[in-house]
Amino acid sequence: MNKINFYLLEYAYSYIVRHKNKNIFIVTVFTLLVALLSTLFFITSSLQYELKERISNQSDIVIQNYKAGMPAAIDTALLDKLLEIEGITAGKLEVKGKYYFSQKKSTFYLLGVDAFEMQDDPLIVKLLDQYDLSDSEMLVSKNVKDVMNQAYYKEYFNFIKPDGSLQKVTIKAAFDVGNRVELKNLIIMSKDTLRKIFGYSANKGSDIALSVANKNELDFISSKIRLLLPNAKVTSKDDLLLEYDRLFDYDSGVFLSLFVIALFTFFIIIYDKANGLSSEEKREIGILKAIGWCVEDVLHAKFYEASLLSFFAFTLGIAIAFVYVFVFKAPLLGAIFTHENMLDIQNFQLNVHIELSYILLIFLLSVPVYIAATLIPSWRVATLDADEVMR
Amino acid sequence: MSLFKLFFLFFVFVSTLFAYPNYSDSLKSKKIYPMGKKIFQKKCADINVNNYKSYDALVDAIKNTKGCRKLKSSYQEALALYLWDVQREAKVVEKKYPSLAVSHKEKCPICGMFLYKYPRWVSMIEYKEGKKVYFDGMKDLFKYYFKHKKDIKGIYTRAYYTQETIDAKDAYYVIGSDVYGPMGHELIGFKDKKGAKQFLFDHRGKTVVRFDDVTAAMVHKLDE
Repeated sequence: MNKINFYLLEYAYSYIVRHKNKNIFIVTVFTLLVALLSTLFFITSSLQYELKERISNQSDIVIQNYKAGMPAAIDTALLDKLLEIEGITAGKLEVKGKYYFSQKKSTFYLLGVDAFEMQDDPLIVKLLDQYDLSDSEMLVSKNVKDVMNQAYYKEYFNFIKPDGSLQKVTIKAAFDVGNRVELKNLIIMSKDTLRKIFGYSANKGSDIALSVANKNELDFISSKIRLLLPNAKVTSKDDLLLEYDRLFDYDSGVFLSLFVIALFTFFIIIYDKANGLSSEEKREIGILKAIGWCVEDVLHAKFYEASLLSFFAFTLGIAIAFVYVFVFKAPLLGAIFTHENMLDIQNFQLNVHIELSYILLIFLLSVPVYIAATLIPSWRVATLDADEVMR
Repeated sequence: MSLFKLFFLFFVFVSTLFAYPNYSDSLKSKKIYPMGKKIFQKKCADINVNNYKSYDALVDAIKNTKGCRKLKSSYQEALALYLWDVQREAKVVEKKYPSLAVSHKEKCPICGMFLYKYPRWVSMIEYKEGKKVYFDGMKDLFKYYFKHKKDIKGIYTRAYYTQETIDAKDAYYVIGSDVYGPMGHELIGFKDKKGAKQFLFDHRGKTVVRFDDVTAAMVHKLDE
């Protein structure tokens, strides 16, 4: 490959500046296209990454009891039965659920813990090491603490039990959830207190969580449990991953249609450009040939011109998308991913997580295509004789 | 009939005499012992189980010790069982096994595959001069073992269900199952006979063998 010819580069630059209006239009369209496509890819890869992180903090298998198509209380005795299965290494009865605080119209996520049982979530392990919870105390997240403060609950909170009476629980401390946004409404208290709030009897809970040491066995063991408990809903980590993948496939379908439309528009512009040069451009090439440029020089200059334009537009597009997604948190387009109770863009941080393969894909779909679309018609004109072009 | 009743009553009487609760082994090892261990570490680390002659004396002591008195009775029971079954026998049972973690460069000497990709299958022979040879499964380990039997300090593998390191010589192996290792058919190791039998049943294995029963012909047959 030859060295860069700076005279030709300078010529290409001045050419771009001379045809300001036309080139500004091209840069705008190009930038918008790249920005749109990379926005979509940034959102998906960031969401997908965060969901996988969340799933990794959950229990390997979760079993819920179903009654009349609704989740119902599950019995402790079942846990002892399930622990007999080879391959299950630990298990616990979980008591957890949602509590709607109507005064402030916010939903708290209540989790019952037992300091001496196995815990899957690293945040909870840390909190339980730090604090020694008694039955009348609870730990609340900073967000929950703020909501309670607004309702003038500073020292304690009164939960309303199913029978209408009150359960008073003291706030022991507020904790910071860091970047675990999904836990921003978390309240942790002892299982017995939570049973009182939810109206469960002493040996009941909301679900059973099991851990399986060998992940190869996860599928086999969950199907074994399904046979054992035909009324229960058994969800393994693998199932969750599949479910989210399916969700993303659906959304990616919506994305794909946008993607196709955007690409189509781009290719129409490219086609139009490739089909012919304006008479002015033709004349310019003719003059260049007349003053002694060979075909190679003309193509070189055109190559520089197209590269300058497309690289500039590409980087600008990526930068706009980056700022839009990761700084402004994708105000409008993010809504594509909002599903009822499943995913809510508000509950995500959209941390910077970029898959380079997507950026490469966008690059290959736009920059080389544009360069080719500039070179081919110029080459066609440049091979003709100068007088023929200018006539 | 009355004699039978008397006989039966005798058993009921005898069983209630001993307060030692009757839980199944898997329930104890999966739920009660880990819980007891946590309670011991967090609340009652000053109880020495060797000071008590019987389980009842231990339970009484727990009920009278300062840190543990306020605990729920189910916690106290878990603590007592952990101390009685695990700590008291620790002198006999507890062994320290070397870790089976491998670096990114480590390869199996038999098949040449990188081992870090298959952490579940890593097995190891440790020689007396300190050399450690890692394999991606017991099949390759056996192939190496039959040729280099001298000066072995210990052989270790992972138990399939619990993924903990175990002494390969004490393990039970299932042959011919539908679970494949990185090199195809494998000898899959288990800590106890019960687990091996269950695996044999679940995954259509052919036989359960002990370490010393494995022959070179058996291992080479797995590759066919």
